[in-house]
Amino acid sequence: MGKALSWLLGGRRPLASHLLLAPASLWLIFLLIIPAGGLILLSFAKNGPYGAIVWEFGLHNYARAFDPKYLPVLFRTFAFAAATTIVCLVLGYPLAYYLTFRAGRWRNALLVGLMVPFWSSCLVAYYSWMIVLGKEGLLNTALIRFGFLSEPIGFLYTPFAILLGLVYFYLPFTVLPLYASLDKVPRSVVEAAYDLGAGRWTAFWKVTFPLSLPGVVAGCVLTFIPCLGDFLTVEILGGPRYYLLGNLISNQFMMAQDWPFGSALTSLLLAGLVGGLWLYQAWEKA
Amino acid sequence: MPETVSRRSFLKAAVLAPLMPALLAACRRADDKRVVNFFNWSNYIGKDTLPDFSKRTGVEVRYDLFADEDEMFTKLRAGARGYDLIVVGDYLIPRFKSMNLIEPVPAGTLKNLGNLAPRFRRPVYDPDETTVPYLWGTTGIAYNKKKIRKAPTSWWDLWDPQYKDRVSMLDNVRDCISVAMQLLGIPQTTRDPEDFRKIRELLVKQKPLVKQYSSASYLNSLVAGEIDLAMTWSGDLFQTARENPDLDYVIPKEGTYMWVDCLAMMRGARHREDTLRLIDYLLEPAVAAGIANSVRYATPNLAAQKEVDKVLLKDPRVYPTPALMKQLQLHHVLDSEQSELWSQTWADVKVA
Repeated sequence: MGKALSWLLGGRRPLASHLLLAPASLWLIFLLIIPAGGLILLSFAKNGPYGAIVWEFGLHNYARAFDPKYLPVLFRTFAFAAATTIVCLVLGYPLAYYLTFRAGRWRNALLVGLMVPFWSSCLVAYYSWMIVLGKEGLLNTALIRFGFLSEPIGFLYTPFAILLGLVYFYLPFTVLPLYASLDKVPRSVVEAAYDLGAGRWTAFWKVTFPLSLPGVVAGCVLTFIPCLGDFLTVEILGGPRYYLLGNLISNQFMMAQDWPFGSALTSLLLAGLVGGLWLYQAWEKA
Repeated sequence: MPETVSRRSFLKAAVLAPLMPALLAACRRADDKRVVNFFNWSNYIGKDTLPDFSKRTGVEVRYDLFADEDEMFTKLRAGARGYDLIVVGDYLIPRFKSMNLIEPVPAGTLKNLGNLAPRFRRPVYDPDETTVPYLWGTTGIAYNKKKIRKAPTSWWDLWDPQYKDRVSMLDNVRDCISVAMQLLGIPQTTRDPEDFRKIRELLVKQKPLVKQYSSASYLNSLVAGEIDLAMTWSGDLFQTARENPDLDYVIPKEGTYMWVDCLAMMRGARHREDTLRLIDYLLEPAVAAGIANSVRYATPNLAAQKEVDKVLLKDPRVYPTPALMKQLQLHHVLDSEQSELWSQTWADVKVA
């Protein structure tokens, strides 16, 4: 244990690096590794009377997780995560491009503008969206006022509202890596393309875009992966017909009081996420 | 490796030393002051109830709210400490007892216990009177008179396709499963998986009509016109209807169950004496009537009825006539196996 700890705290490097690493390592050990270990352990336990945890180990929770009745939830989760990623990319790329190449002296102000909504609690943001999207909300009132609608539309509790909430919340996750990688594209290379006779379009597709690909992939990964575990968006904006994996898990803890099964589902999600990140790193190194 | 040891102890000391005085001070402060930490449903007490108690006794009540019973239970079983007094639904009491989360109110410590109506003494869900009844109510249907022309009469109205996307159901296992059981003629004592398959099917069949499963925010949706028909708890609707006279409440013709929310002292409560004093205070006729008048649920306090608002007292949907009262049943007390079947069925309905 002492050895492992000293390794985590920086190995045989000088004391200063141990001290620098210590807060992060302690954070990681106590708030990630130990809880995740407990969760994985719990996923092999059994659910006892009134949800008490019985420490009899087995794979039964994992067997249950593959029940076909949960397939639609899994499918829906992937569909929403993929749709969110695509929309974020389509909206985020031009935005990041503008920020990098066109914003000029407004760049920092616009970056702050992108981040500020993200600093507010997403609970507050989602409740504000409820006010906007409701039947007597801002959007319906405006559409009726200007004659686009005669009857209010129920925007809330639809796949549209979920997608909107997810895109709203995860957009900065897509834009920031894109911005970082576009910013690294050497201007001289783009200018060389122009000098060699490439038009704006050709220069973008043949030079700028390929050079920004690491940012595209990083942005997609950073959006897609947290989307898979999201449950609050659906809980608040989504209504009852579109529960995602995150809701299935939260229901096992909150409602069914079946913590071992909830832990098994979480472990599977965790394994998928770690696997996905590992593939991404392997791709990045290659 | 002596080096590692010294480094670690150095780190520990470095982190803890500046915190020590603050920690000690925090402990002392918590002990000095007389407080009761009370965890209750939102909108479930009179406006002056707790300030009056503090004024009279000098005991501060730290009041914390929840909007979902299951969440409250999860929070407490996950180890949320520091609450002295909580409000628990009748159906959760066996669970709280089996998990050792609550502690019995010692016999003979409450001088106002005799104010309770005999019907609420030694109830089936809590025969040893670990808890003290606080308020009770029924589950029924709320609707918007302006939008639903024909008043609903049956639980089946919540399954009527013409109300697609205008229905809300309580996000609560007890109410939803028991209504499905009532409609299917399945007794609450069942443990047959086939019965639970049918229940699940019936509730899943309703899902295309349901706009939200909610135990609190549906009241806003009802006011905002987002939904027009909702499974509701009586008092919550009566509170909302106070400002929105278009809203009304019906008990369906199939009948309904009554439920009782109870005061329970947390195991290991740090402020026992003041907690018991607060429970006894809540049992005083004037106080209980004040709460009932404000939250519009029925009080189990017989001595309080003289002071309950006459309009409420005469409304058979709040205080049923003796004949109706006889028909109102308590929920069957589930054992752990049944409880798991109910919960799991409900969780499956939600993600279907």
